[in-house]
Amino acid sequence: MSGPAERSAGARLRRSLVRIGAMASKEAIHVRRDPRTLALALVMPVVMLFLFGYGVSVDLEHLPISVADLDRSEASRALARTLGASGELDVVSSAGADEAQALFRRGLAVAALVVPEGYAKDLASGRRTPVQLLVDGADALVANQLVAKVEAIVRAETRRIAGLEAARAAPPVQVKVWTLYNPEARSAVFMVPGLSAWLLAITAVMLTALAIAGEWERGSMEQLFATPVGRFEIIAGKLLPYLVLGLVTFQLVLAFGMVAFDLPVRGSLVLVAVLGLVFLAAMLGQGLLVSVLAKNQLVATQAGALSAMLPAIILSGMIFPVENMPRPLQVLASIVPAKYLVHGLRGVLLKGNGIEVVWKDLLGMGLFAAAVLGIATLRFKRRIA
Amino acid sequence: MTAAIAARDLTRRFGAFTAVDRVSFEVERGEIFGYLGANGAGKSTTIRMLIGLVAPSGGSARVAGHDVATAREAVKSSIGYMSQKFSLYLDLPVMENLAFFGAAYGLEGKALRTRAGELLERVGLAGSEGQTTGELPGGLRQRLALASALMHAPPVVFLDEPTAGVDPVARRAFWDLIRELAAAGTTVFVTTHYLDEAEYCRRIGLMVDGRLVALDTPAALKRTWVPERVVVARGRGLGAGERALRAAPGVRAVAPFGAALHVRVDPAALDAAGVAAVLARAGATDVHAEEAAPSLEDVFLAAVGADGKERA
Repeated sequence: MSGPAERSAGARLRRSLVRIGAMASKEAIHVRRDPRTLALALVMPVVMLFLFGYGVSVDLEHLPISVADLDRSEASRALARTLGASGELDVVSSAGADEAQALFRRGLAVAALVVPEGYAKDLASGRRTPVQLLVDGADALVANQLVAKVEAIVRAETRRIAGLEAARAAPPVQVKVWTLYNPEARSAVFMVPGLSAWLLAITAVMLTALAIAGEWERGSMEQLFATPVGRFEIIAGKLLPYLVLGLVTFQLVLAFGMVAFDLPVRGSLVLVAVLGLVFLAAMLGQGLLVSVLAKNQLVATQAGALSAMLPAIILSGMIFPVENMPRPLQVLASIVPAKYLVHGLRGVLLKGNGIEVVWKDLLGMGLFAAAVLGIATLRFKRRIA
Repeated sequence: MTAAIAARDLTRRFGAFTAVDRVSFEVERGEIFGYLGANGAGKSTTIRMLIGLVAPSGGSARVAGHDVATAREAVKSSIGYMSQKFSLYLDLPVMENLAFFGAAYGLEGKALRTRAGELLERVGLAGSEGQTTGELPGGLRQRLALASALMHAPPVVFLDEPTAGVDPVARRAFWDLIRELAAAGTTVFVTTHYLDEAEYCRRIGLMVDGRLVALDTPAALKRTWVPERVVVARGRGLGAGERALRAAPGVRAVAPFGAALHVRVDPAALDAAGVAAVLARAGATDVHAEEAAPSLEDVFLAAVGADGKERA
C-alpha cells in the first residue's frame, strides 16, 4: 500500500491535512445541522450583550432619592433642585427626617438626604453645616457612585451659595475631574470588552466541551481511534470549526457593541482580531481539557460553564478592578486569559493602544493556550491503550 | 501469503483481572470467522487488541501481515471496524457519513465519490444519500455502518456484534452481505451472540472467561461437544419433570431452553419416548418429545458449563 514516494514527509503531511480537513468539515456539518449549537454560538451572545449592556449598567439613572427639607429656605430648595436637575436622581420630597428614612427603608428611595434646620443661616454665616445622607449599601457599586455624586452636588451648591451670600472675594477651590477615554463614564463602553470576553469564554468552552464529550458519549470516539486519524488530527479538526465560529461570534459582539453602545474603535481592528483569536485558542483549549477529563456531556457542560464563567466575570476585571483585589486573587487572575483580553481590548478600543502595549496581553493568553492545549493533548493520548 | 489474522498467546490483563488469556488462532484470507462468548468473555477486548486500540499485555498478533503492537498505523489502514456501540453520526446525511470515513482513510475527490456510490448500491442504500442517518431504520443503519467500514476496501474487517438489536429479516440480509464480502476475498472477523448467525461462519472460536475453549467448524464443534443425542421436550408442568429427569439413568444433562427442555441423553440408555415417559410420570402433561440435531446453542451451553449436570 505504501510505496517509497508515499512515505515522504510531504505526502504524509498531505494525508494528515486531508484527515484534519475531514474532521473539520464533518464537525462543521454537525454545527450547521444543529440549530441549538448555532443559537448558543451566535444568538445567545448578542442577547446577553443586549441584556447586560443595558441591565448591568453602573450608570446612575433616575434613582429616587428622598429629600427631607427641614430648613425650607431658598438655599435648601435650590439644593434639591440641583440634585434633580442632573437626571441621575429623582427627588422625592418628604415631610420630615422620619418619613424620608421610612421611604428609604421600604426601598422606595435608594438614598435619603436630610437638610437640617438652619442650613441657609449656617451657610450665610460660614459655619459648618451637617447634611445627612443615608445610602443603601447593599449595592456597593451604586452606593459608591451615589455618595460621590451627592457629595459633589452638595459641596458645589454649598460653595455657590456661601460664595453668593457672603460675597467673598476669595474664589472657592475648584476641583475639576477629567475622565479620560470614557469621558461620559458610560459603563456600556467599559463593559463591552468585558462582556465579549465573558461571552466568548462561555461559548467557546461549552461548544468544544460538548463536541468532544459528545463523541465519547456516542461511542464514535472509539471508531475514530480505529481509523488512521491521529489524536492530534482529531483535536485540530474538532477545534477548527469552533475557532471560526468563535471569531464570527466575537465580530458580532463587537459590531453590536459599536452599533448599540457607540463602542469606539481607536486602535487597530487587526489587533483586536488577533486578541480575539489568541483568546479563543485559550478557551477552546480549556474546553478540550474539560471534555477530556469529563467524558460525558452533562459533566462537561457543568464544568465547562463554571470554569469559563466564574473567572471571566470575577477575575477578568470586567466588573471588579483586578488592582483592588487581595494579593492571592491577583495572582490567580494573572492566569485567567479573560483578564488579558479585557485589558487588551480596552486598551486597543478605548485608548488606541498598539502592539507595543498589547503584546503582554497576547503573551499571557498565549501561554495559557499552550499550557491547556498541551495538557489536554497529552491526557487525550493516555486515555486509550 | 500468510494468514490474514494470526494471534499467538494473546493476553490482556486489566489489573488483577485477565480479560483475554493466552488466546491463539489463525484466520485465513476470505474466511468468515465467528467469535462467540457470553458478555464479558473477552470478545471485544480481543478485537480491540487486533485493531490496535488496546495494547496486548502478552503474546503477539499480526493482522494483514502487520504486527499489532509495533505497526499500529499500518494495521489501522488495512482493516475496517464496526464497533459494538456503533457509531455513525446520526445527525449527518448518509452520504456525509461515508464521505467522512472515506476521507479519514485518505480517500479524496472522485475516488471517494465513486467508491461511496458503489457501496451504497451494494448495501441497498442508493438514492438515500441525502437522508439523515438517524431517520434510517436500524437494519439499514447497520448496512451503512458496514459500508463506511468498507470505504477503503480493507482486506480484513472486524465486526463487533454487528446485528445487535436488529430484526431477524434485516439480520439475514446483513449476513448475505457478509457472505458476499467473504466470497470476494475479504476476511471477516465477527462476534455475535446470536447463535443461529454463527452457523454462517466457516469456523467458530468459543470464548469462556477470557480463554478460547473451542475452535472449529460448526459441524465439528457439534460432534465434539455434543456426542450424545439431544431430546427437546415440550409440554405443561415440565418443572417437576426436570428434577425427575436429572435422576433418570441415561440422562447426561438437562437445560431449560425457552419453553422447552433440552435433554442430553446417552442414546444407548434412553430415547425421546423414554424422556417423555419420565416426564409424564413426574406429572407433566401434553408432553411432546423429539430428538433434535444438536445446535450451536447446545455446544455453547456445554462449553460454558451452564447445564445442570456439569455444574452439580
